[in-house]
Amino acid sequence: MGHTISEKILAKRAQKDSVKAGEVVVCDVDFAMVTDTRASNTIKMMSKLDKDALKFTQNTALVLDHYSPPPHPEAAEIHQKMRAFADQAHTHLYDIGDGICHQVLPEGGHLTSGDLIVGTDTHSVTYGAFNAFGTGIEGSDVAAVMASGKLWFRVPESVQIHLNGELQPGVWAKDITLYLLGKFKAEGLNYKAIEYIGSAVSKMDIDDRMTLCNHAAELGAKAAILEADQKTIDWLSAHGAKTPAPVYADHDAIYAFKDQLNVSTLAPQVARKHHVDDVVGTDQIDRQAIQFALIGTCTNGRLDDIRQAAHILKGKKLAKGVRMIVTPASRQIYLAALREGLIEILTSAGASFEAAGCGTCVGITNHLVPGNQETVISSANRNFKGRLSNDEADIWLGSAATVAASALTGFITDPRTVAGGNWRNI
Amino acid sequence: MNNMLIEGNTFLLGEEVNTDINCSSKYLPGKDSEYVSTVAFDKLEPGFAQGVIANGGGILVAGKNFGINSSREQAIHVLHLMNIKCILAPSFGRQFFRNAINNGLPIIECDTSDIQAGEILKVDLQLGQVISKAHKIPFTPLPQEILKIIQMGGLLNFITKHPDWNFAA
Repeated sequence: MGHTISEKILAKRAQKDSVKAGEVVVCDVDFAMVTDTRASNTIKMMSKLDKDALKFTQNTALVLDHYSPPPHPEAAEIHQKMRAFADQAHTHLYDIGDGICHQVLPEGGHLTSGDLIVGTDTHSVTYGAFNAFGTGIEGSDVAAVMASGKLWFRVPESVQIHLNGELQPGVWAKDITLYLLGKFKAEGLNYKAIEYIGSAVSKMDIDDRMTLCNHAAELGAKAAILEADQKTIDWLSAHGAKTPAPVYADHDAIYAFKDQLNVSTLAPQVARKHHVDDVVGTDQIDRQAIQFALIGTCTNGRLDDIRQAAHILKGKKLAKGVRMIVTPASRQIYLAALREGLIEILTSAGASFEAAGCGTCVGITNHLVPGNQETVISSANRNFKGRLSNDEADIWLGSAATVAASALTGFITDPRTVAGGNWRNI
Repeated sequence: MNNMLIEGNTFLLGEEVNTDINCSSKYLPGKDSEYVSTVAFDKLEPGFAQGVIANGGGILVAGKNFGINSSREQAIHVLHLMNIKCILAPSFGRQFFRNAINNGLPIIECDTSDIQAGEILKVDLQLGQVISKAHKIPFTPLPQEILKIIQMGGLLNFITKHPDWNFAA
């Protein structure tokens, strides 16, 4: 009987020949990440343990990203505690503006194919883009990892989703994940590990692959994993990662179910207000006005997203009354966008750049507060009512291409209908 | 094994309950868990937490995806302060499920559709049965390793006593 990628990674880290879905195993963890929303709880949990017993801290990163920059003294105090803890325990530290955890971990060379990575954020599934098993945990978990280098896991059932064909210009991984959310519904793949395979995945660049895995969190997935290929290996090598140890599923691996989607005819998708799984094609939206546009977050704040937006907005102005914010996912991405002239293009069009971080997505830094009865089109991964601090505003989700096209026209817009909307880096 | 049999009054909540919104200080900055434990779930049912506390605690029974979209461990601390002894639902948010185990709160996936508010329930964690006057609901017992962590009051207690992760000890 064969095994899935998840089963193989967990078995190896548990020093077992094989594991099966449902079994509880204790695994060696390769790297752990703690964000500033959970650091307070984590440090509290850690204080219950003997600090001298913390062995794993050199394989841990503390990331100051959600409260970036801190909106109140309480958040600033958490940051002070994190810096002090990082100094004392010799963890890695990414400070305000360095970037979002899910971007700085791979950029920092902290993970490679075959790894088991845990982080205090549900979107830790993003690391699956590099053929690592990445999953979200909380404070007690991190404290246990720091003390022992190990953690318990219930081996998830795996689901295989075959993405056939090739995305058309103007259509992105974000559109696939939104489509799948419409199909399976939020939490529809709760506890499951998703394996995405197929020609559409092979053709995606790393930025898009990270979107694909990241958004699996909204499906409830415990992990979302891709096979490693030459693109993966080249990217990891360029970022100083350990030598990849790619893991592939056996041909007779057991899946809870298999599904497939031909993406060649997929149109750009949007999630309508309040519900991430209320998804339709942009071509079915009739003049839905927007007042705010956001490109950023751990889902779609990468260089290809900013490039796509710049292609649409080059030499143009945002529609009257539309405000636009761009938060690159990391300082490295900001610098790359700067060098390519993208920041000038978008700033000239009327967009404002904010420090790399999560605040504009989760609504805790007050960078982006929509007014009553206003509509936001966002490249983020969640849109529940009140997420941007105003219950009287609506949030719709789409790709960076859809966000930029909508900012240009003032209405939710299929990016393929505007100049530059079909750009793709090939 | 002791504390594997739990008895208590049923307190009922619906489906898709987000514990970040309803059972944490995420949107109540500066408020501690003690305060949250007196107002938890008020948005869904005014006075819910006060009712649980006045009764001396009990068993929380919910619909599918309890703890969805939320991962704050604080939700479990708040439930402990309300003296919730066990949670039953057909499914849970993944991180909520972990957090309950890591903080020693028994958490059971089972069919809750017939359970009524106020029913006295007996939950046998070892046998895998929820029993009341009206029902006998079977469930797959949690793996022994998980029961051990719960029995010891949570993950940190467990690894303090068993730094080698030896579940058999």
